[in-house]
Amino acid sequence: MSDMTANLYLLESVERRYERGGSTVHALRGIDLSIAEGELVAVEGPSGSGKSTLLQLLGAMDTPTAGRVDFDGVSMAGASDKALTGMRRDAIGFVFQQFNLIPTLTAVENVEIAIGRGTGGKVERRTRAAELLGTVGLSERGDHLPGRLSGGEQQRVAIARALANNPRVVLADEPTGNLDSATAHEVVDLLAGLNTTHGVTVIVVTHDGEVASRMRRRVRLRSGEIASDSGAA
Amino acid sequence: MPSFRYAGNELRRRASRTVLTALGLAAGVGLVMGIVGVSAGLDRAQQQVLSPLGSVGTDILVTRTVAATGTAATGTAATPTPSATPTPAAGQGGAGGFFAGGGGPGGRNGGGAAALASLDDADATALLNENSSVITDLSKLGKAGTKFTHDFFLAGTLITFPQQAVDTVASVPGVTSVTPALTLQAQHQTGTVPNIVAEVKTGGETLTSTTRPAPLTSSEQAAFRSCIVANGGFGDAPGPAPSPGTRPGGGQGGGGGFGATQKCLPKRFQEYQTNVVTPLRTIQQIVNPPATDTTSSSYTAAGVDPASVSTGLITKANLSSGSWFSSDVVTNSGQVLVSTAYATKQKISVGDKLPINGTSYAVVGLVNPTLTGNTADVYFTLAQLQKNATKTGRVNEVLVKVGNASQVDAVAAAIKKALPGAQVVTGKDVADTVTGSLQNARDLASRLGGALAVIVLLAAFVIAVLLTLSSVAKRVREIGTLRALGWSKGRVVGQIVTETTGIGLLGGALGVGLGYLASIAVAQFSPQLTATTQGVAAGASTVSSLFGQVGGQAVTRNVQLTAPITAGTIALGMACALMGGLLAGTIGGWRAARLSPAVALRDLG
Repeated sequence: MSDMTANLYLLESVERRYERGGSTVHALRGIDLSIAEGELVAVEGPSGSGKSTLLQLLGAMDTPTAGRVDFDGVSMAGASDKALTGMRRDAIGFVFQQFNLIPTLTAVENVEIAIGRGTGGKVERRTRAAELLGTVGLSERGDHLPGRLSGGEQQRVAIARALANNPRVVLADEPTGNLDSATAHEVVDLLAGLNTTHGVTVIVVTHDGEVASRMRRRVRLRSGEIASDSGAA
Repeated sequence: MPSFRYAGNELRRRASRTVLTALGLAAGVGLVMGIVGVSAGLDRAQQQVLSPLGSVGTDILVTRTVAATGTAATGTAATPTPSATPTPAAGQGGAGGFFAGGGGPGGRNGGGAAALASLDDADATALLNENSSVITDLSKLGKAGTKFTHDFFLAGTLITFPQQAVDTVASVPGVTSVTPALTLQAQHQTGTVPNIVAEVKTGGETLTSTTRPAPLTSSEQAAFRSCIVANGGFGDAPGPAPSPGTRPGGGQGGGGGFGATQKCLPKRFQEYQTNVVTPLRTIQQIVNPPATDTTSSSYTAAGVDPASVSTGLITKANLSSGSWFSSDVVTNSGQVLVSTAYATKQKISVGDKLPINGTSYAVVGLVNPTLTGNTADVYFTLAQLQKNATKTGRVNEVLVKVGNASQVDAVAAAIKKALPGAQVVTGKDVADTVTGSLQNARDLASRLGGALAVIVLLAAFVIAVLLTLSSVAKRVREIGTLRALGWSKGRVVGQIVTETTGIGLLGGALGVGLGYLASIAVAQFSPQLTATTQGVAAGASTVSSLFGQVGGQAVTRNVQLTAPITAGTIALGMACALMGGLLAGTIGGWRAARLSPAVALRDLG
């Protein structure tokens, strides 16, 4: 499969089952998917279609019950927590629906705590955090606590935080779910812009067709299976 | 490096939980500090009373007693003198003494000797000699019927010895100073001089009986006459020459006629002329002691060297009010110091006069004697008490100071060897006899206090852990996010531990404050503890037994309880609080680290 080496993600026959209340829930039933570096992907599907489970596997938060999940040529299946943690820290950036900023820390501090320990000293980290805020257009608001920022601003801080360690991929979970449509548009622009200007792979999980339509590739899930895939561009 | 700012902000954001957890720890820490403080206070109090000899600059007390222990001496020695009373005949001298002996050697060998059989002969002799002044003829105090007040000074079981023994002790290697003292049991008696001293002796009389016999019958007369005649009797009748052999009585004159008369009288006349001597009998008659209104009270008198201000039975440091003896020998002989306890009981204050046996002594100061066995009520100068008790040149206690504390036992042994028969007591021996609420409190503090501290501290820890776990449960999304951002489990644990350590520091600070409050409260309420020691030897003596007093010489001392807080206590309190914080952080952090990063994604509403 030498032709697959360019793939950032390679999923083969991925299954994920949960034991819940004595019964087995098949969240994912044999997913085959590959995502190349630099793609801009939307994962769509109704509630219970398995898109959150897929996001967890892609985000190195979970491991498959069966099948294979490779990230950048490294198998995630059976990887240790330490290895998965390292992947999340160094190569994966997350953007959450509810922003998940630390409410007691300022915008710049929220970005700063995500920067890996190996990255220089405290001063360097602070400088980099400020730069990242500049990237998302919030260089003036670094000293504000999340509570003092609008939803769109908070999500931009979250995006800056996701970029803290120069990730290979940014995973966004319903990034516009808590935003009004105008702000949602700005955030999607920002994510798409990261992809185009920085070449960062961006995968957005959404049930919002409008957001999905802004992505170059759309993967639709239904009942734990891939219902449709617009395919790599 | 955990983020201190993050931790600090987090603690502020959840201020009520932070304060609650900190207060829990503070309560534990405060209690631990309070208990440690009280314990230290008890130690201090114990130090104060349990090393009484040390506190008067003395390591060893040398005395001479009739037996090895005070109690044994009391039990045995109490018997002899009273038992001598009902048998006055035994060795009674002619002195007319109220009690046996009157100091004469006979008394000693009388009833007393048998009762003292269990004692060493020399001890028995010494004991009775020492206490002989109690065997005083009250009639010598004045004419019968007159009032008297007199103080008798008695050595009790604490036998005196010549002052030269002090030099012997001083020559023992390792001894740095010796101070002689004389502690006597004083019997203060007032009453009326009794007016009879009875003595009854019976038996040994010679009884002479004279009886007039019935006249001679005519036949007897005839026989008598013929007998006389036959023996050459009456002058008017011729008879043979009188025989000298028939006149053993002689002296009757009238020639040999009387001899013949004797011989010729009927038998019954001859018998009635014999003297009868009654058999020798001794009739014992018990003489009750004369009833008097004598009342007696006892106190302990001690003679101390006025020049020795830092060692001795009392020292200048024991003064609670007034002043020490004058340095002038003439002036100080008229001065006394009184123990505060006795002064309170007798309503004596500095400046009062104490009349004793015709001399008025000025009370110059009140002292708080330390808890040796031989605390006294009234302190004279040694010379004056020796004079009062007619024990010039004699002492019964030597207080010894040893240069090196580790040598005390060796020096004590050496003194025992140098002075056979001496009782040598070290400070430790005295301390071992201490009882009382201090001892009880000490036991309580060490047993219950320790357990209580552990329980409260554990409870505080449990509270801290539970509150930390609840805090973690509320921060699931936040912790999941950190994990999603790539925070390792260790970093999450470190962050939580940093937070709880902060709570621990806060709790420790509050706890130290509480501990100080507890310490102040203890000092304010200042519970009084008592310590009682049975005393060294002067204890319940022969004399006090004689006068119907039992024991009473146990020395009790009150000590104020304090709960001092030392740097060590503060450190311990902080350490406990930090330990609680670390424990809560570790458990809470471990729980947090187990959270899946996926919880960050969950829509938790």
